[in-house]
Amino acid sequence: MGNYILKRVLTFLPILLIMSLVIFFIIQLPPGDYLTSYVAGLKAEGQIVDESELASLKERYGLDQPWFMQYFKWMGNILTRFDFGYSFKYEAPVWSTIASVLPMTIVVSLVTMLFNYLVGIPIGIYSAVHQYSIGDYCFTLLGFIGMAVPNFLFAILLMYGTYIWTGTAFIGLYTSEVLVGLQQGTMQWWEVLGRGDFWGRMAIPIIVIGTSGTCGTLRSMRAQMLDELGRNYVLCARAKGVSEKRIVYKYCLRAALNPTVSGLSGVLSHIFNGSTISAIVMNLQLVGPMLYEALKAQDMYLAGTILLVMGFLIIIGTLLSDILLAWLDPRIRFSGRRAE
Amino acid sequence: MSEITEPIIRVNDLRVNIKMDEGTLTPVRGVSFEIRPGETLGLVGESGCGKSLTSKAILGINEKKCQSSGEIFFQGEDGKTIDLLKLNPRGKEIRAIRGKQISMIFQEPMVAFSPMYTIGNQINECTMLHITKDKKESKAITLEMMKKVGIANAEKRYDQYPHEFSGGMLQRALIAMALVCKPRLLIADEPTTALDVTIQAQILELMQQLQKEMQMAILFITHDLGTVAKMCDRVAVMYLGRIVETGTAREIYKAPQHPYTRGLMGSVHKIGSRKLDRLYSIEGTVPLALNLKPGCGFYERCDARVEGVCDQAEPDLIQLEGTHCAACVHCRKEGKAE
Repeated sequence: MGNYILKRVLTFLPILLIMSLVIFFIIQLPPGDYLTSYVAGLKAEGQIVDESELASLKERYGLDQPWFMQYFKWMGNILTRFDFGYSFKYEAPVWSTIASVLPMTIVVSLVTMLFNYLVGIPIGIYSAVHQYSIGDYCFTLLGFIGMAVPNFLFAILLMYGTYIWTGTAFIGLYTSEVLVGLQQGTMQWWEVLGRGDFWGRMAIPIIVIGTSGTCGTLRSMRAQMLDELGRNYVLCARAKGVSEKRIVYKYCLRAALNPTVSGLSGVLSHIFNGSTISAIVMNLQLVGPMLYEALKAQDMYLAGTILLVMGFLIIIGTLLSDILLAWLDPRIRFSGRRAE
Repeated sequence: MSEITEPIIRVNDLRVNIKMDEGTLTPVRGVSFEIRPGETLGLVGESGCGKSLTSKAILGINEKKCQSSGEIFFQGEDGKTIDLLKLNPRGKEIRAIRGKQISMIFQEPMVAFSPMYTIGNQINECTMLHITKDKKESKAITLEMMKKVGIANAEKRYDQYPHEFSGGMLQRALIAMALVCKPRLLIADEPTTALDVTIQAQILELMQQLQKEMQMAILFITHDLGTVAKMCDRVAVMYLGRIVETGTAREIYKAPQHPYTRGLMGSVHKIGSRKLDRLYSIEGTVPLALNLKPGCGFYERCDARVEGVCDQAEPDLIQLEGTHCAACVHCRKEGKAE
């Protein structure tokens, strides 16, 4: 088991490097760079642009060099000085720009994942054990609706609903008081987590971002459980005198969890991607909208870093799911040993 | 053999119905038999004739959609006789009997174990449920039984997973799991079908030897007549959910009466027979037990059918010589009962 984990961690580093290369290559692919779009904006406003100043800016940011030189410089700075470059649009170092939204993004993502599994798995089990019951039909219907309705539509409906029922409009994760505190630096993000009103506000984004994933988990859990419940070992366990409850939880659940666990990193990336539009609609201060802005403005270091961080988190998710899988299923654990 | 002893199990007019949209499927239509301690009854028939459903009905482990009716009297360890069909199939009482007093060996050992837990864990579960709550004692009992069924290096094997076992070893483990609580009745549902012939013989000998030691009754389900001849004291031949012929193994092998039994016997290759003899095969397959026509279930496939007689009413089992019974109009004419 220890060997297995070590092997996984070692493969993790080259993957990260290759990923960064691909990300950077794709980010710089569109013609032009931040300066060209910046200059175009200035010219449209009728301002005069000093060509020599432009050239010196280009040189300062290394924009006149080929992309792979830019990449090596960027990577070198990250590895040696943990410097992720400069954000043209926010006019600040990339890392401090991201740091203002990253912790909360991770919190929201993790809580959404938790919501996904805590709701999806039990309902999936219930639906399978009580197949074709009224409860099963209701959950199946809800599951399909949840999967089919787009996130942003859900967001708009829920925001409208809260306004009608409570009379207060839902704007963003934070109350204005907290927002000011965060911007002025008198308040840290972890202090926000201790506030009751924050978790109340969190409910809507989590439901919006998490619903489709939860319904997916529900569906796959139900299908897998039904599969396992029909297997011969269930009959054999029954013939031994094992109770139904034990059959479901000791035998079937463990086997049925496999696809759900291996889908863990998929769920994570789904949350990252799915949250962008919802976050824009609901005005959430998360990474998603920032990435969107960065891509629009060709702010390449910011966009590249955000993608890199997300990729890093997804790789960690994969690692976690691999370890969990090996723990769950002895056949996976031993497959390496037999080859040796 | 032991005619005086009370039967351990007496199945009386067992029927299994499955309600479907097209009508009611009746895969088991009034099966009756009994088995005494130390005796082996072979239940023989083609696939789809209701053998497995009959055996699972005894344990109450058929799917929910299968409804069993009739009576299954089982004499428990305490000497009391209970009707197993009256018990709630998910209740505590029947679960205390399953695995402890009646246990079952399934046909495919490769899928009878969960791949997620060690063999030891899964056998041990049985003793923990039925015999002792003490973990050490339970493990000791499990290991002893694993050794008894011929699993070498049992201590190491205890902690191995099913995928690390060969098919023959898994079948041994499955037998160990079925016998670890020393049941009074063992149901063996084609226990050797999935194994190659040399392993088959070993497993059958093992079962006979353990039966002698424990004096248990065996219901041996198979479609292999060779195995039946080796294992069984009495035989019941099943066709389309009914028993069409029953008697001691000797009676049936010597003089099969029902055309179906004769067909089955004819389709077994015998050593010493001429090479050019083609094996006999019964035309067609077992019909679906749905909206059955009146008359003998074997009518369509029978080469001795009498029009106007066989398609009118289903013949009952008629006693011939000794314990030999058959359900065919031809037996009525020749048999001693008339």
